[in-house]
Amino acid sequence: MSNLYKLFYLLAFTGFLTACHPEHYQPIDSDANIAATINIKDMTVSFIDIDSREKITDWAVHKPYTGGIIFPDRDTFLLYGSQLETADLYSLSTGEIIGQWEVGEGIVNGLLLENKKEIAFVNENDNYIHFVDLKGKESSKMTTEKDPFTVTQSADGSKMYVLSFNHEVLSVIDLQQMQRLDGFKIHSFAAGALLLDDQNELWVGGHGEGIDIERNIHIYDATTGELKKKIAVPTMPVDFAVMDDSVYIVSHGSNTLYKVAKEGEVLDSKIIGANPFTIKALDNELLVAGYDSSDVHFINPDDLRANKSVKVGSGPFQIVLREKK
Amino acid sequence: MRFLTDTLAKKLWLTVTAAIFITILYSYLLSYLFYEKLYVENVEESLLEEGLALASDYEGGPLTDELKEQVVWYNTKADSDVFIVNNPRELSACFPFEMNYDSLINGKEREELLKGNPLFKSGYEDRFNGRIMAVIVPLLDEDRLEGIIYLYLPLEKISDITKDFAYLWMLAAFLFLVVAMISGTVLVKRMTRPLLEMKYATERVSKGDYSVNIKNQSEDEIGQLAHAFNHMADSIREEDERKREFLANVSHELRTPISYVKGYSDALKSGMVTNQEDYQKYLQLIHREAGRMERLVGDLLDLSKLETDEYQLVKMPLPLAQLIEDALQKYLPKIAEKHLTLEYDLDPDIIINADEGRIEQIIQNIIDNALNYTEQGGLSLHLYRTENGCCIELEDSGIGIPPEDIEKIKQRFYRVNKARTRADGGTGLGLAIAEKLVNLHEGELTLDSTFGAGTVVRIFLPIIDE
Repeated sequence: MSNLYKLFYLLAFTGFLTACHPEHYQPIDSDANIAATINIKDMTVSFIDIDSREKITDWAVHKPYTGGIIFPDRDTFLLYGSQLETADLYSLSTGEIIGQWEVGEGIVNGLLLENKKEIAFVNENDNYIHFVDLKGKESSKMTTEKDPFTVTQSADGSKMYVLSFNHEVLSVIDLQQMQRLDGFKIHSFAAGALLLDDQNELWVGGHGEGIDIERNIHIYDATTGELKKKIAVPTMPVDFAVMDDSVYIVSHGSNTLYKVAKEGEVLDSKIIGANPFTIKALDNELLVAGYDSSDVHFINPDDLRANKSVKVGSGPFQIVLREKK
Repeated sequence: MRFLTDTLAKKLWLTVTAAIFITILYSYLLSYLFYEKLYVENVEESLLEEGLALASDYEGGPLTDELKEQVVWYNTKADSDVFIVNNPRELSACFPFEMNYDSLINGKEREELLKGNPLFKSGYEDRFNGRIMAVIVPLLDEDRLEGIIYLYLPLEKISDITKDFAYLWMLAAFLFLVVAMISGTVLVKRMTRPLLEMKYATERVSKGDYSVNIKNQSEDEIGQLAHAFNHMADSIREEDERKREFLANVSHELRTPISYVKGYSDALKSGMVTNQEDYQKYLQLIHREAGRMERLVGDLLDLSKLETDEYQLVKMPLPLAQLIEDALQKYLPKIAEKHLTLEYDLDPDIIINADEGRIEQIIQNIIDNALNYTEQGGLSLHLYRTENGCCIELEDSGIGIPPEDIEKIKQRFYRVNKARTRADGGTGLGLAIAEKLVNLHEGELTLDSTFGAGTVVRIFLPIIDE
């Protein structure tokens, strides 16, 4: 047999082995504090070391994930997407897939409850919130209004607020009794919500309806649903983060980060990235991901200047944090 | 359909017309395609140029009112429709969210614009309620798509222009078609006229009128056909004349002996002959004339057989010298009787593949002829080898043949002396038969004569090589 044939068979055999082996990604150091971005456009997950502010690696998962949750064990990384039948579990320390949960298509959001024992999956297809334990077993489910998208919960873990994307009604779920409470009417095309427990206020953003784009955040009384005020943060405010006495808001329509006092006064604003959809608060810095610019910015909360920008995969849509215990 | 294809002229005319029509149609479609493509490309290019020129005024950051007003002003002046958009909804900024909104550009197009590439669109757009051609130029501030300049033209406008072009084309094509059809008709008529003439000429020939002559100056295939037709008519006329002459000759040749036989037998029957000597003489004459008739009919039969393809030679290898010598023996008394000399020199090695009886007949015929026309001197016969075979050469010192008759001497019943007497007893067919037989043996018979001095007959035959 000629050498060329030997080489061919060797290559074919190698291909066969790799094809049968589960995908293996670069492991993430268990001690590192990380920010993971779920990138929609190129279907990757990027990992950034928060302390060194450097990117660690990209996982080319090649699945249309839209969000993720890191479990309290700091190792299990759950990824979900509305077009996927399963939610997939990866081990960060080994870089391998370790499990799959049959959750069905339509999962648009996932939230780890404050009890750290359950995850709420928002399903826009069947319009239910599915409560699943950390083994993947569904414990209960709650019906919502049509097209649920954003969920947020109270700090004591007693209540959950569900915003419907195309429906002007906000659903409230009592997590202790596991029952649906009376909701209240809100503005249309709401997206992004922040519950300020100490003020009993629910801050809600949005994209706006049709050609009318949303310029304000609406502040509702978390109990009565009364619209207390609107704050102009043009345009299209969609995500919130709280640090000290300020609320930080990203408005993706104008690529702007706003700093707003909890009392409602707009303190500062800066153009950050391109088309930012998501913001997260670290200990003393903010993280903003630019969907079009495909980067993550480390922002000084005082003057809103970017201390550092890190390039990530294309189309970062959500940031998931794993910080020190 | 039959009435359209019943003549060659119509068929040709149809072919020419169809070819012209197809050519026009095809070139119309092609040029229409090219025209539209070129025009569309041109429009696209000019839209892009306009868009890029407008975009060059953008200096980064959110779009200013001034820029928007500039574009609005420009729109009032430009041929195309131009507008500027910075509504993020229209730019599909919310793309990952399902907004249930039909944006100006979709997510994929937004990606392309984010790369700084202009977009080209052509086709139906709901937004404009019709088919349009559009160019979209991005207004980028670093990675931020702050807005777009949208330039478009309704495709109806473009089709209007191509419609004008189509009318012009159709008019030109119609005129061309008319001219081409008229000239085509004339051409086809000219081409087929000689064919019609030939048809009439053929009808005349079949009725026995061979004097036709088609006048056609052209050198093409039809001209050649006309020429060949004239030649054929001439040949038929000549053949017809020969046939008449032949019939006249045959009847004349037969009439002479018949009148002899009739006259002498009448005399015998009526008892006019009284003495035994005359009686025997008359009988002898009748017998001679009957013999001549027999020979004549035999020769005619031979000739007619020879002229058909069914005549079969029985070929075998023959020593030619021996054969000639045997034949000569029969003539020795007659030669002696006429006080002529005979000299011969025969190559004994020559062997030919031939029919013995026929070769003998050939030799007899030429010796008969030589003896009939030689009154003094003698005959000389030679057989010798030539480059391609052998030659039998018979030379006499007879009366010879005038040069003007030498070509015709081999024809049936042809005689140099037009007075039709057959005192010599010949049938007038000997040389014709001899030549036919020689030709059947793949040989050649030639005559060479000096009038008043003698004639040389040469027969060339192929031989068997040892």
